Amino acid sequence: MKKGFNLKIYAAITFFVIAGLLATITVTTYTNRYNGFSPEKTAVAFVQSIVETGDGYNAYKNTLVSKNYKYGDFIREYYIYPAIYAESDYKPGDDRDELKGFNDDSFKGEKTLNDDGSLSGKVIDTMYDYYVDLMKKYKGWDNYDAVFTDYMKELSKVREEVFGDKYMTDEIFFTALESNVRTYGESLTGTEDEFDANTGIQTSIKQIGAYEKAFGEDYKFTYEVKDTVILSTTNAPWDKINEHADMLETYKTDISEMNDLYSVIIEVKANGKTIATQEVRVVKINSTWYVDNTTVDTTALYKLA
Amino acid sequence: MSDKPMKKYMKKSEIATFGIGLFGVALLTGWMPDYTATFFADFAFKGKGFDPDTMANALSAVFLVAGIVGAVCELVIGYLVDNTRTKLGKVKPWIGFGVIPLALISMLVFVAPNTDNQNVAIAWMFIIYSLYTAFCCAVESPANCFGSLCSPNPSERSSAISIASFLRSVGQSGGMVVILVVGLVMKAIMGQQQFKNAEAQGLDLIISTAVCALGLILFVMIFFTNNQERVPFTQEKVSLKDAVKVVFTHKNLLMVSLTKLCGFGRGVYGTVSLYIAIYLLGSKDLKLGLLLPMGIGTAVGTLLVNIVLKKFSTKKTFILFCFYGASSLAILFLVSKGIGFNDGLIIPFLILNFFCGLQHGNTNVTPNIMIADCVDEIEYKTGKRQEGLAYAGYGLFSKIASAFTKALGPWLLYTWSGYLASTNANIAYADQTDATLNKILMIYTIIPAIFVVLQAVPIFFYDMVGDKKENITKELMKRREEKALADNVSAEN
Repeated sequence: MKKGFNLKIYAAITFFVIAGLLATITVTTYTNRYNGFSPEKTAVAFVQSIVETGDGYNAYKNTLVSKNYKYGDFIREYYIYPAIYAESDYKPGDDRDELKGFNDDSFKGEKTLNDDGSLSGKVIDTMYDYYVDLMKKYKGWDNYDAVFTDYMKELSKVREEVFGDKYMTDEIFFTALESNVRTYGESLTGTEDEFDANTGIQTSIKQIGAYEKAFGEDYKFTYEVKDTVILSTTNAPWDKINEHADMLETYKTDISEMNDLYSVIIEVKANGKTIATQEVRVVKINSTWYVDNTTVDTTALYKLA
Repeated sequence: MSDKPMKKYMKKSEIATFGIGLFGVALLTGWMPDYTATFFADFAFKGKGFDPDTMANALSAVFLVAGIVGAVCELVIGYLVDNTRTKLGKVKPWIGFGVIPLALISMLVFVAPNTDNQNVAIAWMFIIYSLYTAFCCAVESPANCFGSLCSPNPSERSSAISIASFLRSVGQSGGMVVILVVGLVMKAIMGQQQFKNAEAQGLDLIISTAVCALGLILFVMIFFTNNQERVPFTQEKVSLKDAVKVVFTHKNLLMVSLTKLCGFGRGVYGTVSLYIAIYLLGSKDLKLGLLLPMGIGTAVGTLLVNIVLKKFSTKKTFILFCFYGASSLAILFLVSKGIGFNDGLIIPFLILNFFCGLQHGNTNVTPNIMIADCVDEIEYKTGKRQEGLAYAGYGLFSKIASAFTKALGPWLLYTWSGYLASTNANIAYADQTDATLNKILMIYTIIPAIFVVLQAVPIFFYDMVGDKKENITKELMKRREEKALADNVSAEN
């Protein structure tokens, strides 16, 4: 055995060979699945989120907004906390430990304490109509600043009317907004009859969505990158980004961090037929690509149906 | 010879490296089933527009088929192990060489094909997970039965199995730590939102699997180079028919295996742990808090069993722990009823959960030691040493029991308890009646307690203990010495 088969050499070779193979598989899979390493995939993911369900809200997870912020934290810092700590004159980035806001339990009224979910549901339903109006007013999510600001203001008002108190938390905001975004998406895609797996009770009724009406019940969207143009070599496109230096500052980034700038032209097709062409500019910071949301115009994508 | 303590055969480092080997195997195999289900359901074909109901049904079928593949493989691998004759031994080659395909297949489970065809996607899930299950059996089953071969000294063997079982139970939770650390590293490198984007593609699962697979190779190779099989294998070839017969007709082995079947309902508490956290303790975040004390209790119990085994036989130890386990669950039930379902229950509940976890140390360790003893008895009676099949038989019964548990748990929760699912999109969990909450508590405590007692019943008929065990051990030692002498004489001639 000692002459024929050396266990230690076998073990060492196995370890290093398998480590190499595992690393290769991991890197290959990661590169294929992670959108941020490819300008085209980053741009398509952004467009896809808006087209598939009208979800410009989540599309920002691929943009410069999310470069240094967790998207939710960005929303908290700039739109939710200023409303919750309105009486304390909160500014983004302030320490909140010493502040008393509307998220304090002392602001909970009787209805908040005893709600079984039905009043919260009423708030969400009321806010949905307002959300639809906002989408019409701002033609989508490009002006996210206005959408978040208006939505937060209206939510505080509607909630106070329904519950009779000023209690407000980030969870209330996200529950309402994300529910509205989801319902808005379902108004486009339609819904199926749904039954509870255990009780058999019908929980949702089939609804025909705007996309189904426009493109047929079995519609399918596809995305084709028509062109990728390198813009980094000229000054003008950089200057255009720099016009929004204040926004970049808010995102805790600046133009000096960006080492590449591409324009990706994407054709959106419904059942193989082109229904929109969208330009998305993407910038590379370190090895990751981000959609430049400061210059993008996606209003056409909200009018597909 | 009879009055002297039996010779010890294993180097101290071997006891540690045996445990390290099992830790490595559990690090990967303990992680795979739950995270494969998550990956298949949520990430593998995200954005492909596949019909969710068809995918959900296919996913159930994938795990059902994999369960059948696993049960068949247990027996086939056991049979093949018992017919393996190499200079390295009969079990070691399966572990040392089997980890290579196991590591690679595990990785490939998380590399979904980029297809728009739902049938191709479903076929891939069936094939890749069945392959994983087969290779998992080819390594895990032999690794579990190595304990019976590491030393001819039953006492030394029991200690080695206890320590290795402890490390294996630690390894089973190791994947949770890996994904936590991988997540922290990814956040630090990528930033929080980009990490969330990568997480949404299941990329943290892929990296964590690679880490666990590499851990498998590293730890098993440490075991492979340092450990030896010290119980010589018998030369007779075993037919598949005889092999299967061994599992079902050898009384003591059958009794140990039946503990799994009789105690199948022990595990139904897992079905309701989320609901216990939500309804009885007040927050679903406490689910991890529930599992942690029980996990620590299990690890401590594994070490405790080793101490108890020094004073009592395996039979007494098993029965003792079963009655302790049932009592601790009953106390948990009574305390919960006494305090009521409010904030005051959280701390006592979590503390008692630790004490309930202690019993699991017994079910992790004692049956493995009993099976090693059964292998000795079978060799004594038949002249054939069949570790592979003995552990495979136990594994087969474990898999059947696991299938029953998976069927009973949801039935108890959704049918028997009268659980009401929420029909309001804005309410995640509906209010439950007191009767339902009581039944949920019973599913967590009293019902497992009944099965814990039931699992002890077959052990009353187990008799490989005391003088019988001692005499068989001595007789086998004598036979091996005589055989070694005869082999030396024939080699000299």
